[in-house]
Amino acid sequence: MPLETPSRIVQALAEHGYNAEREVVTLLAGADDPAAALETVVEATPDNALRVTTATVRQTLDSSPPAPDPAAVTANSTPSANTSVSTPTKNPEKPTQTTDTPVETEGSSDSVTRAATTEERPNGEGASSRSPQPAEITGDITGRSTGTGEYKQFVTTFRDRYKRLSKLLGGRVNHRPASAIQSMGGGSEAEMIGLVNDIRSTASGHWLIELEDTTGTFPALVMKDREIANMVDDLLLDECIAVQGTLADDSGIMFVDSLFVPDVPRTFRPSTADRHVQAALISDVHVGSQEFMADAWNRFADWLHTEEAETVEYLLIAGDMVEGVGVYPDQDEELDIVDIFDQYEAFSEHLKAVPGDMEIVMIPGNHDAVRLAEPQPGFDEELRSIMSAHDARISGNPSTVTIEGVSVLMYHGVSLDEVIAELPEEKASYDEPHKAMYQLLKKRHVAPKYGGKMRLAPEEKDYLVIDEVPDVFHTGHVHKLGWGKYHNVLAVNSGCWQAQTEFQKKVNIDPDVAHAPIVDLDTLNMTVRKFA
Amino acid sequence: MRADDERYFDRIESRLDEAMAVAQRAKGQGKDPEPEVEIPIAQDMADRVENILGIPNVAERVRELEGQMSREEAALELAKDFAEGRVGDYDSKAGKIEGAVRTAVALLTEGVVAAPIEGIDRVELLDNDDGTQFVNVYYAGPIRSAGGTAQALSVLVADYTRSILGLAEYKGREEEIERYVEEINLYDKDTGLQYSPKDKESRFIATNMPIMLDGEATGDLEVSGYRDLDRVDTNASRGGMCLVAAEGIALKAPKIQRYTRQLEEVDWPWLQDLIDGTIDGEKDDSDEEAEEDASDAEADEGESENGDEEGEPDGPARVKPKSKYLLDLIAGRPVFGHPSESGGFRLRYGRARNLGFATAGVHPATMHIIDDFLATGTQIKTERPGKAAGIIPVDSIEGPTVKLATGEVRRIDDPEEALELRNGVEKILDLGEYLVNYGEFVENNHPLAPASYAPEWWVQEFAAAGADVQALQDDPHVDLESPTATEALQWATDYDCPLHPKYTYVWHDIPVEAFETLAAAVADGELREGGDLLVVERSETVQTSLETLLVAHQQTDETIEIRDWLPLARSLGVSEDLTKEWDELSADARTWDGGDNAVKAANEVAPFDLRERAPTRIGARMGRPEKSEKRDLSPAVHTLFPITEAGGSQRDVAAAAREMDEQGRRGVHRMQINQRQCPDCETQTFKSQCPDCGVHTEPHYECEDCEVVCEPDEAGRVECPRCEREVTAAEWQEVDLRKEYRGALESITEREGNFEILKGVQGLTSANKTPEAIEKGILRTKHGVSSFKDGTVRYDMTDLPVTAVKPEELDVTADHFRGLGYETDIDGDPLRHDDQLVELKVQDIVLSDGAAEHMIKTADFVDDLLERFYGLPAFYDVDERDDLVGELVFGMAPHTSAAVVGRVVGFTSAAVGYAHPYFHAAKRRNCDGDEDCVMLLMDGLLNFSREFLPNKRGGRMDAPLVMSSRIDPAEIDDEAHNMDIVENYPKSFYEATLEKTDPESVDIKIGEDTLGTKDQYRGFNHTHSTTDIHMGPSLSAYKTLGSMMDKMDAQLELARKLRAVDETDVAERVIEYHFLPDLIGNLRAFSSQKTRCLDCDEKYRRMPLSGECRECGGRVNLTVHQGSVNKYMDTAIEVAERFGCREYTKQRLRILERSLESVFENDKNKQSGIADFM
Repeated sequence: MPLETPSRIVQALAEHGYNAEREVVTLLAGADDPAAALETVVEATPDNALRVTTATVRQTLDSSPPAPDPAAVTANSTPSANTSVSTPTKNPEKPTQTTDTPVETEGSSDSVTRAATTEERPNGEGASSRSPQPAEITGDITGRSTGTGEYKQFVTTFRDRYKRLSKLLGGRVNHRPASAIQSMGGGSEAEMIGLVNDIRSTASGHWLIELEDTTGTFPALVMKDREIANMVDDLLLDECIAVQGTLADDSGIMFVDSLFVPDVPRTFRPSTADRHVQAALISDVHVGSQEFMADAWNRFADWLHTEEAETVEYLLIAGDMVEGVGVYPDQDEELDIVDIFDQYEAFSEHLKAVPGDMEIVMIPGNHDAVRLAEPQPGFDEELRSIMSAHDARISGNPSTVTIEGVSVLMYHGVSLDEVIAELPEEKASYDEPHKAMYQLLKKRHVAPKYGGKMRLAPEEKDYLVIDEVPDVFHTGHVHKLGWGKYHNVLAVNSGCWQAQTEFQKKVNIDPDVAHAPIVDLDTLNMTVRKFA
Repeated sequence: MRADDERYFDRIESRLDEAMAVAQRAKGQGKDPEPEVEIPIAQDMADRVENILGIPNVAERVRELEGQMSREEAALELAKDFAEGRVGDYDSKAGKIEGAVRTAVALLTEGVVAAPIEGIDRVELLDNDDGTQFVNVYYAGPIRSAGGTAQALSVLVADYTRSILGLAEYKGREEEIERYVEEINLYDKDTGLQYSPKDKESRFIATNMPIMLDGEATGDLEVSGYRDLDRVDTNASRGGMCLVAAEGIALKAPKIQRYTRQLEEVDWPWLQDLIDGTIDGEKDDSDEEAEEDASDAEADEGESENGDEEGEPDGPARVKPKSKYLLDLIAGRPVFGHPSESGGFRLRYGRARNLGFATAGVHPATMHIIDDFLATGTQIKTERPGKAAGIIPVDSIEGPTVKLATGEVRRIDDPEEALELRNGVEKILDLGEYLVNYGEFVENNHPLAPASYAPEWWVQEFAAAGADVQALQDDPHVDLESPTATEALQWATDYDCPLHPKYTYVWHDIPVEAFETLAAAVADGELREGGDLLVVERSETVQTSLETLLVAHQQTDETIEIRDWLPLARSLGVSEDLTKEWDELSADARTWDGGDNAVKAANEVAPFDLRERAPTRIGARMGRPEKSEKRDLSPAVHTLFPITEAGGSQRDVAAAAREMDEQGRRGVHRMQINQRQCPDCETQTFKSQCPDCGVHTEPHYECEDCEVVCEPDEAGRVECPRCEREVTAAEWQEVDLRKEYRGALESITEREGNFEILKGVQGLTSANKTPEAIEKGILRTKHGVSSFKDGTVRYDMTDLPVTAVKPEELDVTADHFRGLGYETDIDGDPLRHDDQLVELKVQDIVLSDGAAEHMIKTADFVDDLLERFYGLPAFYDVDERDDLVGELVFGMAPHTSAAVVGRVVGFTSAAVGYAHPYFHAAKRRNCDGDEDCVMLLMDGLLNFSREFLPNKRGGRMDAPLVMSSRIDPAEIDDEAHNMDIVENYPKSFYEATLEKTDPESVDIKIGEDTLGTKDQYRGFNHTHSTTDIHMGPSLSAYKTLGSMMDKMDAQLELARKLRAVDETDVAERVIEYHFLPDLIGNLRAFSSQKTRCLDCDEKYRRMPLSGECRECGGRVNLTVHQGSVNKYMDTAIEVAERFGCREYTKQRLRILERSLESVFENDKNKQSGIADFM
C-alpha cells in the first residue's frame, strides 16, 4: 500500500483527523513502509492532538520494527487453537473493525480488517498447515508507469519489443539491417529479423511479408508451395520473426527459405516446487453481475476449507474481479450491484470466504476499474483498501508471479480474442483457448498485434514481451476452460464464475462456469474441480 | 398551363438562352476542356434521364410511353426496347441489361439523383454450375439515393430483360446464399439498415432471386464465415447489394409484386411468401425466430405512433409520448421539452406561408425567450409528426408564458417584448404554440393528434351554434380572435358553444385536488379596484396551479393578483360575487385520468363547455444549426491546377512556381497531367488550347505499356487494343509552373500584388487529369471566391419553403416585383405597395444576405473572366445587390446530378435559402434542416466541366450533369405534393383529430389535388399569417456562442429555466451520449492509433521503429493527442456534480479520469510542491 506521494500522506493523516508539520510528511514519505509508519504514528499520537509533531514521528519510527512481511503476518495472526476442519463456514459474518490489534504485527490499517476476519472465523482454516511463501512478482507495471502518451514513448516501446525479441532470434539467423539488405546485390543470401509490418497475399497466391527493423523495411516473399507457407497463417502483425532467403535478381525482394519465430525451446524444462503444494488458478469472477454464481463460489470457498484442499496454498486470480461499470452500453440495466465500489466490497466479502492463510495474487482485467490500455497497473489505493481481505498481493496485468520456485505468467487475455479471430479454427478457437495461448508463447508476446482492439499504453519498455519462459501461463477473459502443455509450459485458461449473459447467448458463447483448475506445483500436473 | 405561367417560364428560359449564347461563344474559343457548355438543358424528366445516362433516344421513347402508362410500367417497356435493340446501341447482352437497369433507376428517380450512374457499376454474365449463363448486377454505395422502390425495381427490370434475352436464372451456391445472410447482418450492424431482414428472409430472397446481386466493397468490415468465394470478389460487405436486398426487395416486396403480376415473362411467386411471412422449409431454429419476434415487438412499441387508448375509457384522448428524439443528445444543443411534457410546445394545426414540407412554426418571441437557440432555419429533432423539422417564425400563434423575477406571470406575444424581458425570466412556464400543417401528418402517415383549442376552430363552432359570425366580423368593435372577457362569457352562455380559447386554461394539466383548492382559494379571495382585480392568498398549490394553467397574474409575498379573473372564476364554478356554487365533484370528474386531469371537473362546475386547450404537447430538442456559408474545399482551391507538394500546406501556386529543384531550375515539377494534342499542328500539350496555333486540343490517349495511340469508343471508354487495359489521357510530365503562372498573369494583365494568395491543388483526381486554366484561378482569388471540385463557385444554405412573400420583407420593392412579371397580389389586387402579399412563383428563390454577397463576388468574377479571359463583354454588371434581382442561379443538392434553374427575387436576413417548396422538391430535398447550394448561372455554364470530376465512386454526385430549366410539378419528389393549400381547415377536421383519425380520411386539399391541372402552379393558400419570414434571432445562439463550454452552459441554464425540461436528465444525457462516448472513444483511439508524417502526410498503422518517416525522413507524430482525448473530462465531471447525475454516471467518469491519469501521467514524476500538500 505505498503512500508514495506527500499529498497522499497528508490526505491519509487528514482522514484520521490530524494536521501535520511539514517535516512529518517528509519523514513519513521517506520511511521504508510509509503506510505502516503512518499507522504507527497515528497510534502514537494522542487522540486530542490536532497536529502530528516531528518528535512523535522520529520517536515512533525509531522504535517500530521494519514493516513485517504481509504473508508472514498472515501466518502469525492466524489463531491456532481451533482444530476443526470439517465444518467450513458458509457465510462468513461481516467483520467488525477492531482497533486493538498489536501494532507490531500489523503493517497497516488494511490488515486490521483481515485480522478481524480471521479471528472471527473460529472453524475453518485453523488446523490447516498452509504455509505459503510470499509470491515474488516481476514485470509489474504498477507504480512504474512513466508513459505520458507521447509519440516517442510509443517508439521506445516498440523498439524495446524489437530489441528483446530479436535477441531471442539472434541465435538462428545472422541479422542484416533492412537498410543494408536494400543495398545488397540481386541473388545474394540474406537474413533479417524484424517486426511484421504487413502481410498480403499476392495476385498469384504467394505471401508478401513486410519486415521492419530500426533502419527500415524490407519485403519478404513466401511462395505458396513452400512448406513454410503454412507458418504464414499463424503470423500476426507486429510480432517479431526472422527470415533467411535469397534476394531477387532486381534485389527488391527476398525469397524466403526459412522462417523462425522466437518460440519456447523444445528443451525447456520447467521448475517445480520441492514440496507437494498446489495453486488454484481462476479468473473472471464478475461480482456485481446478475449472472455472478455466488452459490458456486461459496462451494469453492467451502471446499478450500476442507482437508482435501489443504495443500492448495495459493490462489491466483487473472482479472475481472467485478463486472464493472460502463463496460458496454446500458450495462447498468444488467447489474446486480450498480455501484462500482460496492462491487469491490462484495468481491472482498466473497474473498473472505477463502481461507485466510492462503497466498492470493490478483491482476486486473478489462472489466476492472483500472485503465484498459495494456500493460494495466494494479488496483489503486482506494480499491486496494476495499479489497483488503487476506492482504492479497495486487499486481499489474501482465505479471510474472513466482510461487514455490514455479513462475506463473499471469495475463488477463484480451488479446486472445484477436488471436482467435485472426488464426484458423484449428490453431485457435474459443473451445480450445489454450491453443491460442500456445501462439502467444511461440511469439513470446502476450499481445503482439497493435491497433484494432488491442490498446497499448506506451511505457519505457514493452511489458508485454515474454522475456523468460514461464513454467505456467495463466489467462482468462474468454470464459472458457482449456489447458495443455506447450513445450512443457503449462498453459491454463481458467473459466469464469459468471453464467451465460444475454450478449454471450446472442453470439453463441457457452461459458465454462465455476471450474477451478488446480495445479500441483511439484509436478505441474493439473486437475479441475467443478463447483457448478 | 395558364398563359401567365407560360410567360413566366418563357422569361426564365429566354434569360437562360441569352446566357447560353454568351457562354457558348466563350467556350467555343477552346480554352476549356470541351469547346461547348457542358450542362445540357433538360426541358423535362425525359431529357434529364437521357442526359444523365448519356444514352441517345431514351428521352423520346420515355415521352412516348409517359402518356400511356405509369413510370414503373414505362421502365419495363423500355427494358424490352433495350433487349430488342430498339433503344441504345449495345452489342452484348450484358450491355443491354445494363442500359435497361440504369434507365429504370433514372426514370424512377426523375432523372435527378446520381444513383443510375453511380449506384450501378456494371452488369456481367457469369456461368451457373450447370453451364448456363446468368446475370450479375454489380451495385455500388450510391444506389442508396435511389430509394427502396427504385432499387427493387432495378432487380425486376434486370430479370425481365434477362428473360427476354433468354438467359438462365441465377442458381446460388449454398455458400453464396449463406454469404448473403451473414453479409446483410454485418452491414446492418455496421452501417444500419432501415429494415433488418431476418436470417430466413435473407436466405429466402437469396435462394429465389433469379439474378445475382453483387457489388463493390463499401466497408472495412469483413465477413468471417463465408469468405473467398469463387464468384464474389470481396470479403468485405457490399453496401449496394445489402441495400437492394434489404431495403429494396425485402421491404418493398408488395410494390414489386404489383408489377410482376402484370408481366408474363417474369414470375416471382415467392414474393407472396415473403409478404405473408410464410417462409417454410428453411433451416432455422425457432428460438432465433421467437427472439427476433420479441425484439421486433419491442421496436414496434417504441415506434408506435398511435397510442390507442380505447381500452382506457377514463382518460382523455392523447398520443403516446415518444422519447426517440432525445437519443444522442449533444452538448450545446438544448432540449426544449421532454416527451409530451406539460409546458412544452402546444400543437396547433395550420399552415403559414413559410410552413410545410417538414418545417414547424414557432412564435419569434419563443425564439428569443429560449435564449436565441432557435432561429429561422434551425433544425429541431421533434417528437412528432416527423423526426426533424426546420424552424420558421410565425407570429399569429401564441408566444411563450414566463414567470418573471418580479413575480409576474405573463404570456409574451411580441418579439421585442421578449428581448426586453428575457433577462428577467425566472421560469419559462410554457413554450407557446407549435404550428404544424395537416400535410405533415399525411406525409408522415401519423394519426392526427388532438388539436389545441384555437380561435379558428372556435369560430366555426360558434357559427355552428347559430351565431352571426359574419356580422361580428364586420363589427369594428369586436375582435373574434381576441374578445374581451365579458364578450367571451356572454357568447359562451348565450350560445351552445365552448368558451373562447383565449379564456380557456389548460385545465387538463392540473390535478383535480389542485382544482378544488384553487376554487376554494378564489372563493375566499377579495375583489379590489372596483372588481377589476381579484386577490387570492398565495399558497404553493394555488401558485403552481395558476402557473400550470397559464393564467396571467402577479405574485407578491402574500398574495396573488389576477386581472380579467371572471372567466377563471366561472370555470372554477365560482360566481361573480365569489360564491363557490358547488359542493362536491362527481366521482367521474374526480377519477378522470386518475385524478391528474381537472378538465372534467371544470366542465362539471362551469356554466359553459370547456374544450381542452393543449391536449398535445410536442417535445423537441435542437438538431443542426441553420447554415448559410460559402462552400470552400479544405484547403480552399482557387484553381484546379496541380502544383505537387511544392505549394506546401497552403497549396500556394506562387511558392510552387518559385521553388528550385536539384538542378537549380525554378518552378519545374514532375506531375501527372493531361496529355492533349492539337488536331491541326499536332503539338502535344496539357492545355486545352494549342499554345502554337490557338486551336482547341483533344485528349491524347496512349497506352503507357504498348505505346499504342487509342481512340475512345462510343461510350467514351478507352481501351488499349493490344493489352486491353483501360487507357487515360494522363501522363507524367515535367511542367514549368513558373512559366505557366507568369504567362497566365500576363495574359490577363494581372499583377501578383492584386491578390493575397493563389491556391492550387496538390494533384488532380480526374481520370485524364485535365487542368484548368490558371487565369480562372487568379480571377477567383482576386474576387474572393474559391472553386468546388467541379470548377464551380458554390454557396450553401438551409432550405426553407415559402409560398407567398412581401417585396418589402425581401428588401426589394413592388417595382422590382412588377419587373419580374408579378402583377397582382395574393387576393388578385394590382400590385402597388411593397407590403402587399404576393404568391411566389415556383422557380423563384430568396437568397440569404451572405449568399447575395457571395453571388455579387461571383458575378464580378464572371464578368472579369468574360472580359479579360474570353475577351467578351461583361454579362452581369452588378453594382448593387438589387442588380441580382431577376438573375438566374442553379440550385443543386448533394447526391444528385441535376441542377434546377432558379430566379433570384429578393433577400433575407435569415441564414437560409427560402424558395417555393416545389423548387426544393425538384432538387429532391425537403426542409427538415437539409441544406444545399446555389451557383450563379454563368459561373456554372463557363466553368463546370465533367473533365474535372474525380475518377472515383461518387465522383459524379453533386455535379450539374444536366439542368432542369422548368419545373414540372408531376416530376418532383412527391413529398411536396402532400402540402395542404387551403385557407382554413373545416370543423370536422378538428373533431377528427380528437379521434386520432388517419389523416388520409380527412378531406383537405393538398398539392397533389391540383397536379396536372392548370392550377398546378398557383393557389397555394395558407391558414395562418406571419408578419415577416425572418423574425426572431438571425442566427442561433449555438452559432454565436464561442466555446463548447459556453454552449453547454447556456444549454444547461436553459434546461433549468424550462418547466417542460428535466435538467438532470439533460445533463445525464449529454454525459451519456456525448461526453462518455467521446472520452471512451478517444481513449481507445489513442491507444490503438495510427501515426502520420507531419511533412509528407504518409500514414503509418504503427509507429515506425526508426521513429521517423520511412518515406521522407520527416517527423512522424500521433494522430490522436492527449488534448483531444481528455478535452471534456473536467467539464463532464463538473456537470455531473452540478446537476446531481446518478452515482453510476459519476463513477464511470471517475474511472475514466483515473484511466486518463494512468495513461498520461508519469507515476514517478508526479507534482509535489507545497501547494500539492493540501
